Amino acid sequence: MFEHILSSMIFLPILAGLILLLAPVPKNGSRAIGFVVSVAVLILGLKLYAGFNGAGGMEFVEKCTWIKSLGIHYTLGVDGISLLVLMAGAVLFPTIFLLFSTKTKGYYGNLLIAEGAMTGAVCAGDLILFYIFWEVMLLPIFFMIGLYGGEGKISATLKITLYTIAGSLLMLAAIIFIGVSYHTQFGVWSFDIAKMAGLRLHGSMAVLAFAGFMLAFAIKIPLFPFHTWLPDAYTEAPSAATFVLSAIMAKIGVYAVIRFVVPVFGPEFTKYALILAYAGVIGMMYCGIAAIAQKDFKRMLAFSSASHMGIIALGIFCMNVQALTGTLFQIVAHATSTGALFLFAGILEERMNTRKIADLGGIAGKAPVFAMFFAIAMLASVGLPGTSGFIGEFLIILGAIKFNVIIGVLAGTSLIIGVCYMLWMFQRVFFEKVNERTEKFRDLTSVEVFAFLPIIILIVVMGIYPQPFIKKIEPAAKIQISSLLHNMQVADLNVLERGRNQEKK
Amino acid sequence: MTRDFLLLLPLGIVGAGAILLMLRSALGKLTLEAASLVSMCVFALAFIAQILSGTIGHVSPYGSVFNGMLMVTDFTRVAGLIILACGFFTSMSSQSYFKENGFATVEYYSLIAFAVSGMLLLTMSQELITAFISLEIMSLSIYILVGFNRTCVTCAEAVLKYLMLGAFTGAFFTMGTALIYGGLNSTKFSAISTAIAAHGFLHLPALVGGAFFIIVAFLFKVAAFPFHAWVVDVYDGASVPVTGFMATALKTAVFAIFANFLMLDPGLKSAWVNYLFYIAILTMFGGNLIAIGQNTLKRMLAASGIVHTGYLLIALVAVSADHFTGSVILYYLAAYAVSTLGIFAALSYLTGNGEMRSQFDDFKGLAKKRPYSAAAITVFLLSMAGIPPTAGFMGKLYIISSAIQAGQVTLAVLGIVSSILSMWYYLRLIINMYFHEPEETFETECSVFGPVCTLILAVAVFAISLYPVTI
Repeated sequence: MFEHILSSMIFLPILAGLILLLAPVPKNGSRAIGFVVSVAVLILGLKLYAGFNGAGGMEFVEKCTWIKSLGIHYTLGVDGISLLVLMAGAVLFPTIFLLFSTKTKGYYGNLLIAEGAMTGAVCAGDLILFYIFWEVMLLPIFFMIGLYGGEGKISATLKITLYTIAGSLLMLAAIIFIGVSYHTQFGVWSFDIAKMAGLRLHGSMAVLAFAGFMLAFAIKIPLFPFHTWLPDAYTEAPSAATFVLSAIMAKIGVYAVIRFVVPVFGPEFTKYALILAYAGVIGMMYCGIAAIAQKDFKRMLAFSSASHMGIIALGIFCMNVQALTGTLFQIVAHATSTGALFLFAGILEERMNTRKIADLGGIAGKAPVFAMFFAIAMLASVGLPGTSGFIGEFLIILGAIKFNVIIGVLAGTSLIIGVCYMLWMFQRVFFEKVNERTEKFRDLTSVEVFAFLPIIILIVVMGIYPQPFIKKIEPAAKIQISSLLHNMQVADLNVLERGRNQEKK
Repeated sequence: MTRDFLLLLPLGIVGAGAILLMLRSALGKLTLEAASLVSMCVFALAFIAQILSGTIGHVSPYGSVFNGMLMVTDFTRVAGLIILACGFFTSMSSQSYFKENGFATVEYYSLIAFAVSGMLLLTMSQELITAFISLEIMSLSIYILVGFNRTCVTCAEAVLKYLMLGAFTGAFFTMGTALIYGGLNSTKFSAISTAIAAHGFLHLPALVGGAFFIIVAFLFKVAAFPFHAWVVDVYDGASVPVTGFMATALKTAVFAIFANFLMLDPGLKSAWVNYLFYIAILTMFGGNLIAIGQNTLKRMLAASGIVHTGYLLIALVAVSADHFTGSVILYYLAAYAVSTLGIFAALSYLTGNGEMRSQFDDFKGLAKKRPYSAAAITVFLLSMAGIPPTAGFMGKLYIISSAIQAGQVTLAVLGIVSSILSMWYYLRLIINMYFHEPEETFETECSVFGPVCTLILAVAVFAISLYPVTI
C-alpha cells in the first residue's frame, strides 16, 4: 500500500464514495465510513508529508502506461508546489464529516468522490490524466448543489457547471494541441508535464492554447471577470460543498496555473503577466467592495473569498520567488481560514435558519467559544500579523511591489477593504443587541470544538512559525521561477527589467 | 477456403437466424419471449464467430467466386462486432419494451436480424451494386420496424417520411452507380481506385457526378446537414428499441461503407474534404440548435444523434486515406453506440405503456424512485456529453487529437464548442431526474432483461474508456 501511497489517497475515497452511493448504507453508517476514510487519507497524507524531503523535484512517483499510441501515462507525483495543496485537502476533509450530520448518504458519497478526484488532479503528472480528474471533481459538486442546495439551486448548478465545463473543454483542446506539438517537435507522443518544458511553441496558436488553459483556470479560481458564477454557487451550495469549492477546488485552479501554464507557456505568460496581474487586482477590489454591500453573510463570504483569490492569483503573475512562495503559502492559509469561515457560516445558518446579517446580533455573548474561533479565522482571512494570512499576503505584496509598484500598492490597499467588510460584519453579527432569534443560539459542542481545533491551531502555528512550511515549498518555487526566467531569456523578454522601468516613471 | 468460410460465417448465422425466425413465426409456434431469446442467441453466436474469425490485413473472401465484391479488413470486422452487439442489446431491451406494449409479433425479431445481415454485408461491400442491395436489405427491414405499431399515428407519419425520403436516397445511389458504370465500365471500388490513380479524380466527370450522388445518399443515411431534417420525426415515431437500433447500428454500418468508399483513393478524399469540413460544422451546430429546443426525450436524442454524426464527420475529414485504419471512427461509434443503446434500453422499460413518459418533465424525480436506473442514464448522458472518465470522452479525445494532428484545428475547436453547447440538453435531463421531487411512482411492469441490459451497457461505458486504441 505504501508503494502506491498517492494512488491509495486518490482511489480509497473514490471507491468508498461509489460504494456509499450504490450500496444501501444507513445514514449514520455512511457518515462514519466517510469520516474513517477521510482520516485514513489524512494519515496517508501525514506519512507522505513526513517522507517528503523537499529537494525540489517530483517524489513518490508512480508511472505506468495507459494509452501507448498517444503516449498517455498514468503518472502521479508530488513536489513542493502540490504538497501543500494536497495536505490542505487531506487535513480539512475529516472536519466536514464531523460537523454535518443531517444529510443523506449521497452527501457523504459525493464528498468522498470530490476528495479523491481533487487529490488526483493535484498529483497528476500527465495532462490527460489531470484533465480527467479535473472534470471528475466537478461532478460531485454539481450533484451536491443540485440535490442539497438552497432555493436557487438549479440555476446555481447550471451556472457553475456550464461555466466550468466551457472553460475546461477549451483547455482540452489546448492540451491536445500541446500533445500534437510535442509529437511534431520530438517525433513521439507524450502528455507528460515534466517533458513539456522542453516544448517550443510559436505564433498565434501558442497564444490561443495559452488562452485555453488560462480561461479554464481563471474560471475555476475565479479571476475577474470570470467570477460571476461564484456568488450564486457559493451561496446556494450546502455548506460542505461551499467549503470544498472555496477551500480546495479554487486552489487547484491556482495550483494548475503554476504547474501547467508557467512551464509550458513561459513567453506568453511573461507577455500577458501584467494584464493578468491587473485582472487579479481589479478582482480583489471589485469583489471586496461588493462584499461590503452584501446583506447575506454567506454571500459576503463568497465575495470575500473571490477577493482573496485575486491576491493569491496575483502572486503567480508577479513572477518572482517571493510572490510565488507567498501564493503557495497563502493557498493553505486561505484554505484554512476561509474554509473555516464557511463552515462557521454553515453552523450559523443551520442553527438560526437565516443568512441575513440584519437578523443576527449579540452572538459573542451567547457563544464565546464560537465567537473566538470565528474571530481567529476572520483575522487570519484579513491578514492580521500572527496569523497564517499575514505571512502569505506579506510575501505576495512584497513580490508585487518588486514586480510593479502600482500593482503592489493597489493590492496592499485592497486589503484594507477586506478589513472593512469583515469587521463590520463581525460587529453586526457578534456584538450589538441580542434579538429573539439569537437568544437561543447555543455554543459549539465538544465534537465541534474538536473538529475546529486543528484548523485553528494550524492558523496560529502557520502565522507564528511559518519556516517549516516555507522550507518545503521554496525549492520548488525557485525551480519554477528559474525555468521561467530561462524561458524568458530564450524568448528575449525580461520582465524584471520591465518592472523596474515602470518604477522609474 | 475454411478461412473464407469463417469470415462469412457471422453473416450466414444472422441470415439463417432471420429466416428461421420468419418461418417459425409463420407457423406460429414461437412465443415472443422465446423469439427474443433466439435472436439474442443468434447475435451472440455471430458475435463470437466474428471474434474467432481472426484475420490479418485485407482479405477478400471467396474472391474468385464473388469477383472481389467483398472485402474483410480489421475495420469491417470491428464495425461488424459493433453492429452485432447493437442487434443483441436491441433484442434484449425489446423484450422488456414489449412487456408493456403489446403490438409486437415474432417477425419483429426476424426483421432486426435481417437488418443486421444487411448491415454486415454493407460493411464488407467493395462494389456499388452489392452496397446498394445490402443498403436496401437494411433499409427495408428498418422501414417496417419503424412502422411496426400499426395503430399509432406518429408511427405512420414517421414511416411515410422515412420511406419517401429513403426511396429518394436509393434513387440517388442508383443514379450515382449508373454514372460511375457509364464512365468506368465497372462498379468495383478497385476499378474506381485504379481509374483515379491513372487519370486523377477531377478528370473523370462521370466519376465526379457519380461520387456526388453516392455521397449524398450516405449523408442522408447518417443524417448529416442538410439531409438531417427527417431524423427527428422518424426517431420520434419509431418505438424506443427501434430508435436505439437505428441510431447506433445503422449509423455504424453506413459510416463503415462511407469511410470505405471515401478512402478508396486519396484523390477522391481530398476532392471532398473541403465540403465535408463545412458539412461537419453545420451538422454539429444544426443538430445542437434542434436539440436545445426539444421537450421530448426521444426527439432530443435524435437531434443529439445529428451532433454525433458531426463529430464522426470530423474524424472522417481528419483520417488520412493513405494508411487508413479507421480506429478513431470505430472507437467513437462504439462509444456512441454503448451510451445510446444504454439510454434507449433504460427508456424501453421506463417509458411505460404506450410510451406515456416521453417528455423531460415526465422524468422528474426519477432518482428518488429508481436510483439505479437514474444513475445509469446519468452515466450514458455524461458519456454522450464527453465527460471523463467515460467512453464518450475518450472517443472525443481521439477525434480531436486526430483532427489537430491533421491540421484541422478549426474543426477541432468548433467540435469542442459544440460539445459545450450540448451540455445544456444533457444536463437538463440529469437535473430533471435528480433535482426535482417525484410526481409519480415510476412503477413499470418489465422483465429482468431491460435493467440487466442497461447495467451491462453502463459497465461497458467505463470498460471501453479504459481500452487503448492506436490512432
